[in-house]
Amino acid sequence: MPSSATSAPASAPSRAPLVRDRECAVAGVSAGLARHLGAPLWAVRALFVVLTLCGGAGLLLYSWFWVFMPWGEGEESPSRRMPVAWMLLVVAGLGALGVLSGAVGGYWIGGSASPSAAAVVIGATSACATAAGLWATLIDRTDPARGPRHAMIVRVLAVLLLAGVFGVLLVRPGTAPAVALVLLPLAGLLAVLSSTLVHRWRELAGERVRRIREEQRSEMAAHLHDSVLQTLALIQNRAGASSEAARLARAQERELRAWLYDGDAPADSDLPTDLRDYAGALELDYPVRIDVVSAGLSAERASGGLAAAAREAMLNASRHAGGEISVYIEGSAAGVDVFVRDRGPGFALDDVPGDRLGVRESIIGRMRRSGGSGSVRSDENGTEVHLHLPVGGETRV
Amino acid sequence: MSESIRVVIVDDHSIFRSGLRADLDASVDVVGEAADVPSAIDVIRETVPDVVLLDVHLPGGPAHRPADARSALAATTGPEATGGEAVIRGSQPTVSRFLALSVSDAAEDVVRVIRAGARGYITKGSSGGEVSRAVHAVAGGDAVFSPRLAGFVLDAFGAVSGETAIAQDELDRLSAREQEVMRLIARGYAYKEVAAELFISIKTVETHVSAVLRKLQLSSRHELTVWASERRLL
Repeated sequence: MPSSATSAPASAPSRAPLVRDRECAVAGVSAGLARHLGAPLWAVRALFVVLTLCGGAGLLLYSWFWVFMPWGEGEESPSRRMPVAWMLLVVAGLGALGVLSGAVGGYWIGGSASPSAAAVVIGATSACATAAGLWATLIDRTDPARGPRHAMIVRVLAVLLLAGVFGVLLVRPGTAPAVALVLLPLAGLLAVLSSTLVHRWRELAGERVRRIREEQRSEMAAHLHDSVLQTLALIQNRAGASSEAARLARAQERELRAWLYDGDAPADSDLPTDLRDYAGALELDYPVRIDVVSAGLSAERASGGLAAAAREAMLNASRHAGGEISVYIEGSAAGVDVFVRDRGPGFALDDVPGDRLGVRESIIGRMRRSGGSGSVRSDENGTEVHLHLPVGGETRV
Repeated sequence: MSESIRVVIVDDHSIFRSGLRADLDASVDVVGEAADVPSAIDVIRETVPDVVLLDVHLPGGPAHRPADARSALAATTGPEATGGEAVIRGSQPTVSRFLALSVSDAAEDVVRVIRAGARGYITKGSSGGEVSRAVHAVAGGDAVFSPRLAGFVLDAFGAVSGETAIAQDELDRLSAREQEVMRLIARGYAYKEVAAELFISIKTVETHVSAVLRKLQLSSRHELTVWASERRLL
């Protein structure tokens, strides 16, 4: 018995988990169960069929597994090999033909066929057509191999079949039990038509949830702006620009601000964003305050030689000068300019030993290789590094 | 040192107000505080300070005003005016000068307050000394431009894309000299350093900055607002 096998203690740790494949025939129940039990697939299927013949027990068991067995690992929505909707539709079509021929021939009205047989045919036809329509709408719609177009076709055919059966029964009302049967295809018709509303309703609910989430987020942003950001500003204000507390507060403020307002910003950052992030990292490591200002186009990518040179200049300024550092990025149609200015004691470029790579190689050399230029101006009031990259300069990197 | 400057602090956070009050120089005399738009307007009318330190975002905008003032405010600022803007417009006419303080660096908000009449803009992270210096500058009739504001201005006037005013009285564009000054300020130069760099006097730098501020306030340039609302810096 499958039920006793599934409830057995986990004596065999190698046993495969009881899950349904995402690539399955109908629901993945038999395949999953066969794998779990280590039994051949055909045996499991045969078992279900045999049990179904025992008063429909197999059907119940199958449904029970269908509901409670989880899908296997994976992201994609499940795909089914068997065209269940079409098979149901074909059965319904045959049934409808039977109903039509019966009505036209009038053999059950004439008494040649029993009313119960007619009821079975009509009931099965209606049930199959309804099931086809529902299956297509509720299950096949998310199937990557089928999709909404397929669902629409099946639904239209199912509706036509049901309407046809309904029409035939209206035109040729039979004996008393057949009158009650007229309502059967009508009910199926309503079920198929209303199933489309389920999808619509789901979409609507999802939209509502999104909106509520967005509202909550902006409410929270407003609250944090009023309380936490103000407090962080105050901490910076009171603790002095380059103290440890102020730097931490500033880093926190930047992070919070990015989380609050940038939201779904593209991951591929531009130069100002990248330098701003880098400034935040530097502020944590060195006693500096870096103000990054940008104007004009920000089309420059953060990956090129210009960005690397600018980062190096910022690092130099943080390491040797400290205090307040200004970074200004200007992007125009002619090119991109970056200025990094500090208030340190300054240095003479010629005094720097030739083996020190910092300024000469990492900044000026790198800019030259990128097709731009770099210059350093330093006096007792501080140092300013100017990087310039003309449009089209970055091609040789 | 000249006589002390009378200042009103308008901010809805009492912690921030007391913190700022304690941090300001002795030359700055805080004569009043307010936490929302209506009380700010009342305090400013009452005390007539030299400088108002004004938070850009304040509760109690036009909707909380008495009916007569509300209609006047709504006409000038529109319903979505930030609190700071409403205070400036609501307390006109006044001799007080306004200095905007903000934790929000959204270009839109800053430009709105400047256009409403603020003489400068600094961030709340600035130290007490910096704020005091800015207060002195504003009280003296100068404009206070942070590097960030200078960047905004360059952007908003299309200076980067090469738009330069030819005539002296052109309001929608910056002159070449004004652009130079703005660019140096954006690069972190103090007025004194700008003056040295351009071989002009500090007074001339201040004149240029005031001219830029005037253009920012008077220009009908449509892009200014569109640009500010489209762009979300930081």
